[in-house]
Amino acid sequence: MRTFEDDPTLEDLLSADQLQRLNRMLSALCREPVEIGSDRKDGALALEFNLETIGWLAGGSSEQERLAAADLVSFLMMFIAKYRLAANLHHDTTEASYAELQKQNEALKASEARYRALSDQLQEQVDEQVTVIKQAQMDLYESARLRSVGQLAAGVAHEINNPIGFISSNLKVAGEYVNDLREVVPDTRQNRELLDDFTDLLGESSDGARRIASIVSDLKTFSSIDQADYTLCDVNELLASAVHLLQTEYGHDLEILKKPGELPKISGHPSRLSQTFYNLLDNAAQALREQTQESGAEGKAGRILAKTSVDSDGIRVVIQDNGCGIPESIREQVFDAFYTSRPVGSGTGLGLTVARDTVRAHGGSIQIDSREGTGTRVTLLLPVS
Amino acid sequence: MADHSPDDNRLALKVVFYGPALSGKTTNLMQLHSLLNPQRKGELMVLETRDDRTLFFDMLPIGLKGASGLDLRLKLYTVPGQVQHDSTRKAVLSRADAVVFVADSQTAQQDNNATAFGNLEENLEKVGLDIDTLPMAVQFNKRDLPGVVGDAELQKRWAETPWAPLQMASALHGKGVLETFRVLLDRLYTEVDREFALDTDHGIDRDTFIRQLSAASEDSRAYL
Ligand SMILES: Nc1nc2c(ncn2[C@@H]2O[C@H](COP(=O)(O)OP(=O)(O)O)[C@@H](O)[C@H]2O)c(=O)[nH]1
Ligand SMILES: [Mg+2]
Repeated sequence: MRTFEDDPTLEDLLSADQLQRLNRMLSALCREPVEIGSDRKDGALALEFNLETIGWLAGGSSEQERLAAADLVSFLMMFIAKYRLAANLHHDTTEASYAELQKQNEALKASEARYRALSDQLQEQVDEQVTVIKQAQMDLYESARLRSVGQLAAGVAHEINNPIGFISSNLKVAGEYVNDLREVVPDTRQNRELLDDFTDLLGESSDGARRIASIVSDLKTFSSIDQADYTLCDVNELLASAVHLLQTEYGHDLEILKKPGELPKISGHPSRLSQTFYNLLDNAAQALREQTQESGAEGKAGRILAKTSVDSDGIRVVIQDNGCGIPESIREQVFDAFYTSRPVGSGTGLGLTVARDTVRAHGGSIQIDSREGTGTRVTLLLPVS
Repeated sequence: MADHSPDDNRLALKVVFYGPALSGKTTNLMQLHSLLNPQRKGELMVLETRDDRTLFFDMLPIGLKGASGLDLRLKLYTVPGQVQHDSTRKAVLSRADAVVFVADSQTAQQDNNATAFGNLEENLEKVGLDIDTLPMAVQFNKRDLPGVVGDAELQKRWAETPWAPLQMASALHGKGVLETFRVLLDRLYTEVDREFALDTDHGIDRDTFIRQLSAASEDSRAYL
């Protein structure tokens, strides 16, 4: 490949036309015609440029004339060559710059593509985050609402506690009075029937009051507003009140099988544990409800198992249902903050995230085994010390 | 790259005068043109200057014939020093066999020297040459001006480089130009002899090489 600095030949410097013209002009100046060519003729003078013989000058009437003509040609060649050199250099550098620009352009295109891909990816992430945030807002609203409902419940429970206390004890005293009356009123059939009925009424009322007292007690345990710190907890007791509360909410046709094992007390946060148990039970109950809706009345009987046991790993709490199960596709997400497969308002809104966080805070772990259409088993492991 | 054509027994070498704008590269070449009287000397081509500044390059061809008939040519080039002519500098620098770095001794020009030297390093790499192996001489020019960085200080600064000792010059007054050129020829000879066996194959030993190519300056001075 020729570069700008290659030594020019005669043809590089002058076209055939130009050479002819130069020959004519030189001949006009000399007595005899002069001819420049690339062949060396007799008596021809070398035309040098850059230490290079680029041609031969022949003709002319004398050596002197040839020398003069050759001088003139060298002088001209100098400028022609300068122009050529400059033009060639310009051409070379322009080509080089262009090649460089093209390379840069390619690189820019590549990086633009990279950035576009990155920006698409970012947009995707932003969209994802926006969805998460929207969900979080709804769930926060929901959980705040629930918290205030919980507080209200705790307040109500506290207020109910006193009257239900004296109602219970009054009913008991009233029962004794009825027995006293039996001694003093004439023993007629009508009186007997009246007093028996009276005793039954008081008994039913006592039962009712006892149930109210028990619900109130569960509500108190569950919301445990006054217990902010870790205390020694009886997991069975906490679980039992969560079960009771759930049954109160769902009605007694919800079958919950309790299998409490003998457990040591553990240091824990009672209200958070209660909340966790409640959430898991509530999930189970909803799974049963969904299963019933799907398979209709003739579906198998829904049942929840709440079992506790202890081994060398710690306390194991199993809450198992034979409900609809968790679809494979969302199993990865169930722990995600604020993820829910149900419309807001139908669940506690606190979900498995709270359960997981709580268990972790207690140094334990949570495991979910589920088969769609068959059921779900959630196992909590809580270390003993 | 030295351009050797064994057919016509020719060897063309390329020496590039590099440096910041206005450091005296063209002046060096003009002085060599008038001081040198080698076996063969071509025309000094000063290409298109504007306001006294080199737009393309300057070029001076010189040559000598070896005992073997080797036609040895040296083409001396300058580059435009101004920053914006980088692509021209790269084109001229490509395939260079040796470099003379002409620095400006004035205190205010030291940053420009450093920039130009960095640029040389960078461009050498781009055209596939290595500054550590390329024969090179470094000249500090304009020693005649007041307010130049001291001789000793400059020598000390460059003492640890492969280019020590520096050449001091006042190109405008023809001083130090030939000396610089000879130092360069000396370093160039080592490389060219290694590759082309100048001594054994062509009967050109180091002394001949240096003397012939930088010859007769004293003679031409004597003529003046
Ligand atoms: N005082 C002084 N001026 C110089 C010397 N060498 C060059 N110059 C001046 O510096 C200017 C630039 O020189 P030139 O050779 O064109 O620089 P180039 O850009 O490196 O080619 C010109 O005005 C020269 O006359 C020197 O040794 N001493
Ligand atoms: Mg110049």
